[in-house]
Amino acid sequence: MRKTKALSGAAQDAYFRRAFKTHSNLAAEEREQLLRSLKREIAQLRLRLEPLPREAVTPKPAAAVDSPEETSVPQAAASSTSFDPFSLNVVVIVRTLGRAAALAALAAIDREEDLRLLAREQRLSVGPDLVSLAQLRAAIVSAAERRVANRMAAAS
Amino acid sequence: MTRFLAVSNRKGGVGKSTISVMLAHAAAAWGRQRVLLMDLDTQCNASLMLLGGEGWEKASRSGQTIADYFYDRFDNVAGDESVYIVNNVGDVAHPRTAPGRVSLLPGSQQLEDVQGELYLKQSKKDLHADAVALLVRSRMKRLMRHFGMDYDLVILDCPPGLSFAAHAALDMADQIVVPFRPDFVSQFALDRVALLIERVENAQQLASIPFAERRYACLPNCLTGAGHERLLIEQIALDHPLLTTRLPVLDSIARAFDWDERKKTMEQKYAEALAHLRKLHTEVFAGTHRRSKSA
Repeated sequence: MRKTKALSGAAQDAYFRRAFKTHSNLAAEEREQLLRSLKREIAQLRLRLEPLPREAVTPKPAAAVDSPEETSVPQAAASSTSFDPFSLNVVVIVRTLGRAAALAALAAIDREEDLRLLAREQRLSVGPDLVSLAQLRAAIVSAAERRVANRMAAAS
Repeated sequence: MTRFLAVSNRKGGVGKSTISVMLAHAAAAWGRQRVLLMDLDTQCNASLMLLGGEGWEKASRSGQTIADYFYDRFDNVAGDESVYIVNNVGDVAHPRTAPGRVSLLPGSQQLEDVQGELYLKQSKKDLHADAVALLVRSRMKRLMRHFGMDYDLVILDCPPGLSFAAHAALDMADQIVVPFRPDFVSQFALDRVALLIERVENAQQLASIPFAERRYACLPNCLTGAGHERLLIEQIALDHPLLTTRLPVLDSIARAFDWDERKKTMEQKYAEALAHLRKLHTEVFAGTHRRSKSA
């Protein structure tokens, strides 16, 4: 069962804005400044789908801080549920099986954040304004086709 | 029969000299071969790795460089080629009983100037520019081949870019290892060097040559384990034969080429990189290039 959700780009910005609004002591200008700084430094965040109970995040006394062994278990669990942006090679699928096969392979990815992460990590440029998952998948495949064409042109 | 092995890529910084020296050591130590490394790169990195700065400078002052050899012998001047060679170079200790050893035809920063001068000399013979270039290249090939009699293996450490010497080396090599770093521009560099090696004009013509018939194989180098590296290697494997050896970024490889006069064993020199080098040596010299399609 999925325990976290990846946020990046506009979704990540929106999350930060929502979170900052709960801190009324921050001025609007300060919030924007903070947001700009976080946008520069954070590529992606993972949000718990079920927030931890409040007492679980209450700071413990220094002596009771978790050992590395204890903290490694939840990290491993979290990473096992995370999306692997290298799980399929879009350029190779486009080259070997064609556009339709690449679209079919991407159809298994049903979250915008994951598709955008895949595009970014595979250096496939897609626009920020695409609204539907289908548009995003098509843009990823088109970017892969451009990559292939680019390379063929350079080797002529 | 002497085998001529070129290590080449038009892109710089991919590890050509490092791999040339590693293969030279491996062939001498493990293959018991008499190895000559020809340093065709004006950066002279392989020479510096094998001789150190002072040793290379001394060789240069004595006229023991590839530039001197080409210049002196270009017009069919007879003589003893061995005077240009520095023997028993490097810091790997070879057992006295073993025939394996590494010799070096040191590189020279003057090589580009010498090539230009030789070209100009030939162009006075009323030949078309292309014919002059061909003439210079073919003479260089012949001069390189002279060393075939005295060695089991001649490794040609090619420069980035395309000098006459680089063309000649690619033309004459029996086998070519093309190291690359798995980054985006490396794909373009591999495509281009493959066209040159196989003497074709475009990607379609290249694709018509089966991997098993190509003289070259590509070697992924400086791997960090990042996910995008695997993707790029898979993409490259669609168009080019790849060696199965993968060389990671290792301190022990970087440190292996800090100049040190003390002789050491292969185990001491290459430390944790030794297993990778053994695999590379076996793969390259057993002629077992894996002509793989995509993984």
